[in-house]
Amino acid sequence: MNEKNGITVKDKKSWFRRNGPVLSTTGPISVWMLVFVLIPMLYIIFISFMTRDVYGGIVYDFTLDNYKEIIQPLYLKVIWKSLKLAFITTVICLLLGYPLAYYIAGKPSKTAAKLIMLVMIPYWTNSLVRLYSVNLLGATNGPINNILMDIGLISEPLDMLYSDGIVVIGLLTAMLPFSVLPLYASIEKLDKSLLEASRDLGARPHITFLKVTIPLTMPGIVGCVLLVFIPSLGMYYVPEALGGGKVMLIGSLVRNQFLVTKNWPFGASLAILLVLMTLAMVWIYTRVSKMDDLEVF
Amino acid sequence: MSRLKKLAAIFLALTMVFSFSFALTGCGEEEEGSGVLNIYMWSDYMSDDFVAGFEEETGVKVNISYMNSSEEATAKLTAGGGDEYDLVMPCDADMTGLIEGGYLEEINLDNITNFEYLDDAYKNREFDPENKYAIPYLMNYVYVVYNPETCPVEITGYEDLLSPELEGEIASVDGIRNLFPMALVALGYDPNSTKDSEIEEAYEWLKDYMKNVKYLNSDDAEKELISSGCSVGFIFDGMFTRVLPEDDTWEVAALEDPIQLGVDEFVIPAGAKNKENAEAFLNYMLDPENMAANMKDGHEYTCPNSAAVELMPDSYKKSKAFDLPGDLRENYFLQLDVGDAMKTYDKYYTMLKSE
Repeated sequence: MNEKNGITVKDKKSWFRRNGPVLSTTGPISVWMLVFVLIPMLYIIFISFMTRDVYGGIVYDFTLDNYKEIIQPLYLKVIWKSLKLAFITTVICLLLGYPLAYYIAGKPSKTAAKLIMLVMIPYWTNSLVRLYSVNLLGATNGPINNILMDIGLISEPLDMLYSDGIVVIGLLTAMLPFSVLPLYASIEKLDKSLLEASRDLGARPHITFLKVTIPLTMPGIVGCVLLVFIPSLGMYYVPEALGGGKVMLIGSLVRNQFLVTKNWPFGASLAILLVLMTLAMVWIYTRVSKMDDLEVF
Repeated sequence: MSRLKKLAAIFLALTMVFSFSFALTGCGEEEEGSGVLNIYMWSDYMSDDFVAGFEEETGVKVNISYMNSSEEATAKLTAGGGDEYDLVMPCDADMTGLIEGGYLEEINLDNITNFEYLDDAYKNREFDPENKYAIPYLMNYVYVVYNPETCPVEITGYEDLLSPELEGEIASVDGIRNLFPMALVALGYDPNSTKDSEIEEAYEWLKDYMKNVKYLNSDDAEKELISSGCSVGFIFDGMFTRVLPEDDTWEVAALEDPIQLGVDEFVIPAGAKNKENAEAFLNYMLDPENMAANMKDGHEYTCPNSAAVELMPDSYKKSKAFDLPGDLRENYFLQLDVGDAMKTYDKYYTMLKSE
């Protein structure tokens, strides 16, 4: 408010004229974020410092115990395992997604659009249905075992289900398009003349790939890592559906604190930990993409 | 100018928030009155005709909302918002906390003349000695079933489930309060123990049990029995009713140990707006003929109302899932609220799952 003598009627009108569009476009989403993201988040932070009462309610006594609890080897083990599985999933997504995205980006734009569509079509099915189909495929009397037995490769059905391995496969089926899309976006933007220049200057194909293609598509790679790693970390229905209930990841741990044990404060502190890990990833992303901006332009 | 902009944004936000909450309370008011009954319960757990019969008899409009887990029902009651409903279905393991916390309305038994039909075993229970807070709807046992053709051992107690011959042969329900009580019983302790040392021993027991478990899931453990992936199941009776039509060689093991009985209770939340209608509904539900009709219409579960069971066809009464061997039907234990010990249980449960 710079005006010394208050706002005149005319000023008010022009104020609305100037700010109306901003308010009407960003207003609803701001309110949405405030009511459904920020306030619940603050509440989660708040109760993560509170205490559980005997029957699972929340007592408003300040404590740091919930955070101290996390440092126990038991919970660190769960967190470590979650990080490990999310990491493996991310690496495989990159290894599978990058060549695919590269291949699609090399096609004429009409074909590329069709291929991208094909990547997405399986995701029109509910993800739980897809997970259970993985389960059915690998079942003791499922098609894979039956075929292998029929052609005589194995005599006893293989025990494929309910292991870390199948959880990773489940995470892969859930996450693969999220790795292909950002990779495609950045590979598609890649200036092909730079690759030609590299070749003209005598670089062999793999050197060109390592020194030119990869650095230039780094935002896509990091985007892929973010989009795969973060959801894999928190996703709890995949280990629940495919792990046979024997694989505990941090997502299930948080859920159990809220629903089964009714230890909301501890669940909240675990949730905060997840948020902090996510923020760390995003921070790394902003660093990397900035670096990249400097190199390209 | 930017401060003004900020103020305007805050004002706008507040206006929207308030109009939003007014809209919500507006909805609430509409549903008040004598003509409705709002129920919060499991999905696919009550016959539509049964509900329609009540509506016809009393002129009360019944609205049913569905929950996905019994924890949700308890959370609804404790986290506020319970008064939006007139009947809620928590499980008995949460009852003490709900009663102690003052989350429930007292039930006036004078309005429930059919209370007499409820079997005596389900009256005056530990957590509700004067029948003031909870009326059982239907129930489920967790018992051991086996396929006599493929199961390599004889099972007469939970201890037999640890036999090395059963490695990878068991499909089991999951959940802290299903697994630990079994282990505690096997060790000769109180299934609702709150002693750290006993819970720890139960954890050691369960570690051995997990070696034999192939699949652990409270929703569909039976699919491993149907697909003959496992020869032994530690499952709910409702799951067993889905196994039998596929393969009727399966049997319930005649255990010497007590089995777990889970009761789905109906309670009236504190501040419920249509308490009389809720009581009328409970009365209607306890009528043996109504309950039998409800079960016949695709809801065959273990029933605490013997008079209703009498009215059921032999296919139900003689079903292996409900006509249990030996004295299993009487030899049961309940899940009770274990209070703070839940944290200990959770710790060992997490350890069990992260080996």
